[in-house]
Amino acid sequence: MIATHALAAAGGNSPSIPAPHIEYGQLSPMLVVFGAALVGILAEAFLPRRLRAATQLGISLAGLVGGFVAVVVLAAQGHASTRAGLLAMGSVAIDGPALFLQGVILLTAVLAVLTYAEGRLEPRINGHRIDAFAAQAAAVPGGEQEREATREGLRTTEIYPLTLFAVGGMLLFPASNDLLTMFVALEVLSLPLYLMCAIARRRRLLSQEAAVKYFLLGAFASAFFLFGTALLYGYAGSLRLGEIADVVSGVAPVTPALAVTTQNDALLLIGLAMVSVGLLFKVGAVPFHSWTPDVYQGAPTPVTGFMAAATKTAAFGALLRLFYVAFPGIRWDWRPVMWGVAILTMVVGSILAVTQQDVKRLLAYSSIAHAGFILTGLIATDRRGVAAVLFYLLAYSFVTLGAFAVVTLVRDSKGEATHLSSWAGLGRRSPLLAAVFALFLLAFAGIPLTSGFTGKFAVFQAAAGGGAAPLVIVGVLSSAIAAFFYIRVIVLMFFSDPQPSGPAVAVPSALTATTIAFGVLVTLGLGLLPQYFLDLATKASIFIR
Amino acid sequence: MSTLLAAAGSLEPAARSYLSPTGQEIVFLLVGVLVLGAAVVSVTTRQLVHAALWLVVALGGLAVEFLLLTAEFVAWVQVLVYLGSVVVLVLFGLMLTRAPIGRSPDADSGNRPAALAVGAASAATLVTLVVDAFRSSWIDLSGPAGTTRLTGEFLFSHWVLPFEALSVLLLAALVGAIVLSRAKGDGTKPRPGNLRTVLTKTKER
Repeated sequence: MIATHALAAAGGNSPSIPAPHIEYGQLSPMLVVFGAALVGILAEAFLPRRLRAATQLGISLAGLVGGFVAVVVLAAQGHASTRAGLLAMGSVAIDGPALFLQGVILLTAVLAVLTYAEGRLEPRINGHRIDAFAAQAAAVPGGEQEREATREGLRTTEIYPLTLFAVGGMLLFPASNDLLTMFVALEVLSLPLYLMCAIARRRRLLSQEAAVKYFLLGAFASAFFLFGTALLYGYAGSLRLGEIADVVSGVAPVTPALAVTTQNDALLLIGLAMVSVGLLFKVGAVPFHSWTPDVYQGAPTPVTGFMAAATKTAAFGALLRLFYVAFPGIRWDWRPVMWGVAILTMVVGSILAVTQQDVKRLLAYSSIAHAGFILTGLIATDRRGVAAVLFYLLAYSFVTLGAFAVVTLVRDSKGEATHLSSWAGLGRRSPLLAAVFALFLLAFAGIPLTSGFTGKFAVFQAAAGGGAAPLVIVGVLSSAIAAFFYIRVIVLMFFSDPQPSGPAVAVPSALTATTIAFGVLVTLGLGLLPQYFLDLATKASIFIR
Repeated sequence: MSTLLAAAGSLEPAARSYLSPTGQEIVFLLVGVLVLGAAVVSVTTRQLVHAALWLVVALGGLAVEFLLLTAEFVAWVQVLVYLGSVVVLVLFGLMLTRAPIGRSPDADSGNRPAALAVGAASAATLVTLVVDAFRSSWIDLSGPAGTTRLTGEFLFSHWVLPFEALSVLLLAALVGAIVLSRAKGDGTKPRPGNLRTVLTKTKER
């Protein structure tokens, strides 16, 4: 104590700031993942190059599995239900939805990292394994430097720590309990994703273009979010979601400042609209979807799979928390707008997907349509809606990951063959792979006995129960349109003749095979025996304030 | 500074009028005129380096304005971030791209009228907004609201988690910048002239 005083006196300050109270144990999923990212950076700096790829994979898997174990332990201790609470001076909420989504994100990330490490899809060059990422991101595409880097067998192993940083942000995003933490989490998850989009090994210009587009539009969306945050602060005098809810519903004690700002709803409505724009951009809802096809197509396919699954999960978690915790008081104002957004998203996503000729773009438009289906669950504004959205995100994540992992296997001499015409007759050449992809497409389409059906049923049921029956009709109609193009691909694979110069199907190592097998397992499991997970989602569907 | 503060604190709201300004207000207005002038010169001058240096004057003047409003933390952030980083970045950008140092008559683009319109429109919006928001109200500056101490206390007690998450963000950005820009593997030097060839190629395009 005396030493502290002496130190403080020497520094010219008095040590009067009370130390903040941080619950490290309950924050441990994030802390473990961020810690693994730091270890990964150190490994990148000090290990010789030939050891790096394997070590990075080990560190990432250890961090992500450790984080998942922490989530399970916290849930088992009751932090998802009875002991849910606010942490870190009220910045973070650990409750059912937060823990459920953190678990989904961590499992998704484990499987995605397995596909990152896949090195057997292309023949070795000079004895070096070739993965999906640029040998050297700084080399000019197609230049001498790039060829030299490929010959030397350089690899961009920084992808692993960057992924861990993104995962850490995604864990924080759906758990953040104030707008400032939410914004910081949004940036922590977005920035590594922008970078990871830029480092595809094949078609690098497309990849770099995708990254620049994603970065510019993403920065724009973040600016919207931040501006909206400022306006909401101006209205409510607080950034905490719970306190904003109190001011919105008029429960909060009226101070002179509040009496002035709450006279005019413009600040509240414009602020909410701008914050929503930032989040709807991240989930890829129409009219903020224009980045999705380009980015999904240009990014390295393992990154696309990760991004499509985990970002959507995290962003929907944040969207749920924002609307259910902070703005239930003005739901009659935001529900009509979200109706419009959901209808547009479902219809535009489904119709534009019909015209696509590239598998990755097709999956991108399908992900837009699915964002619309999930939004219908959000509009229910009750517990069943939350549970349905949670279940849908779980089901959708694994189907998406599996589908993109299959896309990495169909290859020709120029890398992945993503044009639909080259997928013709794939079922005759490689029945197993085509059958697996067909299963994923059927799950996207929502055919019974797959996880997609259970998910869609849950969100539509919740929406109908919440008084949004017309929305459900639009949803079923768009599902029918969507089923058309999914089944068109299946017909193309099984009932048309293969091209003579068509692509070959690479035999994956155990890494990608695990991802695909897990995707199949979850898709069938959630389709055949969904009850346990539906119950879990229902139990996890209460937000803490 | 402390005398200015005392002067601001001692005046009753009723006793204030536009006709008997305090020393602080006179200084505020003078610095404001200086900032405006520097900003106008910086967008009209035909020499890029001069424009950057006038920007220093404008942004530094803004920092002084913040100090006069007793927002010392914001003032120093202004100095560190805008003077310390942004302007230095601009100057380094000029140096590294070997842009012409002297007069550059081709620096004007055809977008001048559009830029003027956008600038005037946003200035008009801001002025209307601020004038409408505060009208004739006087804000007592004697409180501790803008001090670094209070900001620090809030930052490190209530906002400590987002603050730490921001440091993770910066680290991720650093790693990303290295990934995208490191031209060669460990130990080998970049080939001389590489930057130049890339730059000339970009210029040719």
